[in-house]
Amino acid sequence: MQTFVSVRPNPLDRAETGSERMTSITINVNGRNWTGDVADTSTPLLWVLRDRVGATGTKYGCGIEVCSACVILADGTLTKTCTENVANFIDKKLVTIEGLADMPPAGSSGVTGKMLQEMWVESQVPQCGYCQSGMLLAVYALLRSKPRPSDADIDQAISNICACGTYPRVRDAIKTLTGQAIAA
Amino acid sequence: MNEMSGFPLKPAPFVTTEEPAQPKADNFKLNRRSFLKASIAAGGGLMLDISLPRASLASKPGEDASFAAGKATLVIGADDSITLIVPGGEMGQGINSALAQIIAEELPLDFTRIRTVPAPYGAQYGTGLQASQVTGGSSGVRGYFDYMLDAGATARSMLVAAAIQKGGDPNTLRAVAGFTDPDSGTWTPNLVRDDAGNSWSYGELATEAASTNPTTSRMSDPDAYKVIGTRMIRPDIREKVNGSAVFGLDVQLPGMKFAAVKHAPALGAKVSTMGAAPAGTLAVNLDTAVAVVAADSWAARKALNALTVTWTSLSYAQQSLVDTATQTGSLNSLLSSTTSAVAEAKPAGTSAATVLSAINSQPRKLNLTYSFPMLAHACMEVLNCTVEPLYAPDGVTVSAINVWCPTQAPDWVVNTVTALLPALPRDKISVTTTLMGGGLGRKIEQDYVAQAVRVALFAKAPVKLMWWREEDFARDFFRPAAVSKIQVGLDANGSIQGWYNRIAAPSVMRSHGFVSPTASYSSFVDSIAVGSAVGNGDEPMPYANAMTRRVVDYVEQKTGFSLGFWRSVGQSISCFAVESAIDECARLLGRDPYDYRLSLLAGNDTMKALLEDVAQLSSWKSAAPPGTARGMALSPGFGSSAAMVAEVTRVASGSTTNYKVSRIFCSVDCGFAVNPDQVVAQIQGGILQGMSSARWGRMQFDHGVAQVKNFSDYRLGRMADTPIITVRIVNQGSPLGGIGEVGVPPVAPAIANAYAALTGTRKRNLPLGI
Repeated sequence: MQTFVSVRPNPLDRAETGSERMTSITINVNGRNWTGDVADTSTPLLWVLRDRVGATGTKYGCGIEVCSACVILADGTLTKTCTENVANFIDKKLVTIEGLADMPPAGSSGVTGKMLQEMWVESQVPQCGYCQSGMLLAVYALLRSKPRPSDADIDQAISNICACGTYPRVRDAIKTLTGQAIAA
Repeated sequence: MNEMSGFPLKPAPFVTTEEPAQPKADNFKLNRRSFLKASIAAGGGLMLDISLPRASLASKPGEDASFAAGKATLVIGADDSITLIVPGGEMGQGINSALAQIIAEELPLDFTRIRTVPAPYGAQYGTGLQASQVTGGSSGVRGYFDYMLDAGATARSMLVAAAIQKGGDPNTLRAVAGFTDPDSGTWTPNLVRDDAGNSWSYGELATEAASTNPTTSRMSDPDAYKVIGTRMIRPDIREKVNGSAVFGLDVQLPGMKFAAVKHAPALGAKVSTMGAAPAGTLAVNLDTAVAVVAADSWAARKALNALTVTWTSLSYAQQSLVDTATQTGSLNSLLSSTTSAVAEAKPAGTSAATVLSAINSQPRKLNLTYSFPMLAHACMEVLNCTVEPLYAPDGVTVSAINVWCPTQAPDWVVNTVTALLPALPRDKISVTTTLMGGGLGRKIEQDYVAQAVRVALFAKAPVKLMWWREEDFARDFFRPAAVSKIQVGLDANGSIQGWYNRIAAPSVMRSHGFVSPTASYSSFVDSIAVGSAVGNGDEPMPYANAMTRRVVDYVEQKTGFSLGFWRSVGQSISCFAVESAIDECARLLGRDPYDYRLSLLAGNDTMKALLEDVAQLSSWKSAAPPGTARGMALSPGFGSSAAMVAEVTRVASGSTTNYKVSRIFCSVDCGFAVNPDQVVAQIQGGILQGMSSARWGRMQFDHGVAQVKNFSDYRLGRMADTPIITVRIVNQGSPLGGIGEVGVPPVAPAIANAYAALTGTRKRNLPLGI
C-alpha cells in the first residue's frame, strides 16, 4: 500500500487567516481513513485527494468530466472526481490507483489489480503514463462487469483520453488477460 | 521513483580525470572519449560522467553549437545499485531505458535493476551551462548512442582493472549480468569473474575501480549486438501503473502554495486593473495574465474566478493578427504575392516563371492548394512549474532558486530565472526535470516557467503554479497555419516535367530567435516551414530526383499568434501537400498510386524498399475489404523513413454515411532499432496523434479569443476511433534515426488518399473532417 505524503499545514490555510470556517471531514481512501479540515466542502474530490491527502496518482486532465484521467472507484463504481464535491464521498470506500494492487479479482474475470498492473508492465502499455491511472481503473471496472469483453465492449467502456496513443496496447493487454485472441 | 531526494547528486572530488579536450565542432566526435570522467561516488562506488553533445536543434545566432550540452552519469554503487542519470527529458518516448540499454551492450547489467533518474540541472551538478540541453528533434537516442557505448566499455574496463588488482586472472576476467532466479527469487548481482573461480560483484569493485586507469575499448560487434536490438522492459513503467510516478503536477514541497493563472481573454491584451485578492489569497499581476495564490488548487481557482480584472483592448490592427479568418485570408493572398524567398531551384537558378512556363506547356497540368490549420499540443499534463525561492538572512535578497519542472529544456529554465533575477549567480539556480505527461514540443517553451518564478517571488514561498485546461489550450504555442500550392506539369508518359511549390506560413524559427530579427522577410527561408518539401534539405523530398525542373518558394507571414514546435514540426505540413499531390498525379494519369510512386523513386533505394515493404504488408495489390479503400504516403524525417498505408471504411449509420480509419500499416526504417518494442510504441503513438489531428485537429481564434476551451472542443481519438495498427521495422543499414516524429506526417495524406480512392472526392484542407 502506498504511503501518503503528509502535506504540512499551509500558511495560507483559511484556518490561519480566520477568514472562513473550516469543516473537518473524513474520507476512506484505499482502506485508510484520512481526516482533515477543508475550507470548502464543495471542493471536487480530485483536489482533496491530490493536494490534501497527497494521493497524486489520480490525475487532472480536463476538469469537465470528458477525459477520465481523474477516475477512481467509489464503492466499487467507476467515478470521475474532477467536478463532484468531496462532501458526496464521505461515506464511500474510495479506491485510487495507489490501492489498485490490493484489489481482488474483478468479478468472474479472475484478474486482480496486481495482475492488471503486471500485464501493463509486461505489455509495456504506458508511454508518458499520465493517463494510465485512470485507464487501469477503467479497465478494472470493465472486467468486473464483462469478464471477457468484446472489442465493442472495450470501445464503449474505455473512453479515457490517451494523447500518447496507447490504445492498441490497452486493447491487446485486456485481450491477453482474458484469454482472447489479439487481432493480427 | 522520486527524483527530488534519495540520491547523492553532489559530485565527489575527482580521483582520476582526463582533461576534456577543447570542444570544437570539427573534432568533437573524434574526441568524445576524453569526455568521460571517473570519480568515487558519494557513499562509495564508481561514478562515470559522460559529457554529451547538444541536441540537434539549430543553434541560435551567437551560440557555439559545439559546447557539451550536459552529461549523463552512470553510478555503480558499492551496494550493487546501478543508476543512470539521464539528461534527456522523459515524456513517454523511453529515452531513459534506451540509453541504459546501450550501456548494457558493453557493460553487462541486470536490466530489471537499473534505476534511471532525470538529470537535475545547475552548475552544482556540473551540467553545461552554455548551450542547450533540449529534448527535441527526435535527437535523444541517436545523439547519445556512441557516447553510451563508450561509457559502458570504459566502466567495464575499470571494473576488470580493479578485479586484476584483487588477484583476478587478467586473461579470463569477464563481466556477467546479474539475474534473479525465477524459482528461488534470489538475486545474483552483476559480476566480474575469471576461470580460476574468483568473482566479485560490481559493487565490490566499484570504489577501487574509480582509481584505475580507464581504457575505452569496445567489445561489442555492431553486426551482432546482444542487448541492443532486443525487446527490453522499460524500468520506469512500474511506477506508472501504481501512482507513484512523479510528474511536474505531482511535486509537493513542505509549505507549498498553489497558484492558478488566467490570461487575458484576447491574445495580446494586458491587465488594465486588478482588484483586491479574495481573503486568504494573494493576487499577482503578470502583465498578460493574473495569478492567484491559495491553500490548494481549487481554492486558487475559485479565488481567481472571484478576482476582478479589467483588460486592455486590442486595436483593429492587433485583432486582425490574432484572428483565424483574417490570417487565413492573409495566407491565401501571400500565395499570389510577388515576393518570396527561393527555398530550392533545380536546375540552379531556375526561376518560378521558367518552371511555370514548363508546366504550362505540358499536356496534363494540376494546380492544387492545400491548407493547414493551427494545431494545439494538448498534452495530458497541463503546464505547471514549482518554484522555491530561498532568501538571505536579510529576508529580502534571493539567495537561491530551486525549480521543479516538466521541461524539455532545463537550461532554458535557468536562462528564464536569470532574466528575472540578473543578480543571482547561475550556480544558485537548480532545475529538477520531472517526468512529463507529454511534451510534444510545448514543454520547450518558457512562458509558464517565468510566471511561476514571478509568483513564487511575490509570495516569498514555494509555489506550484498550474494552468487549468482552458488556459493550456488558449495560450499554447501552436503548430502554425499554412497554405501550400503545388503546380505540376506531366508529359505524355506521366513524367513530372515541372513542379512548382509555393508555401506561405509564419516562421517558427524567427519567433524563437533562430534567425536574426533583421533577417529580410523576402529572402529568409524557414527550414522548418518548408520541411521535406525541398529535395536539398536534410530530409529530402522522396521524389525530387524524378523532377526535371522544380522550384520551391517560401513566403513568410507576419502573425500575432504564438507559434511553436509541434511533433514533426514542418513535415506535418509538407508531407500532406507532397503526398496528396503525387496521389492526384497518379489518379489524373490513371495509374496505381503505388506503381506511380515506384516509378518516381529511382535513386532512392531506401524509400523504394520501404514502399515495397508496406505494399506487401498491407496487401496493396489485393482487393480491399468491401466499403474500404487504401491510400498511401511516404515520410522522410529525423534521420528515419516511413511508408504508410491507411484503410478508410464507409460506415452507414441510419441515413448518414460516416467513415472510419479501419487499419494503418507502417514500414519504418530507423537504422538499428535499439529497443524494437519502443520503436513500435512510438510509431503507434505517432499514428494516433497524426490521425486525430488529420481528422479533427483545428485551433481557431476569433479576434484574439480562443475558440477551443477543452477536449470537448478539440477532439482527440479514443479507443473506439483506434484502427488496427501494424508496424514493421525494416533495417536497411542506415545510421541510427529518430523515431518520435516520423510516424506523424504520413498519416494525414494516407487517410486523405484513401478517402479519395473510396469516394472520388479529394480533400485538400485539413482537418479532413471525416
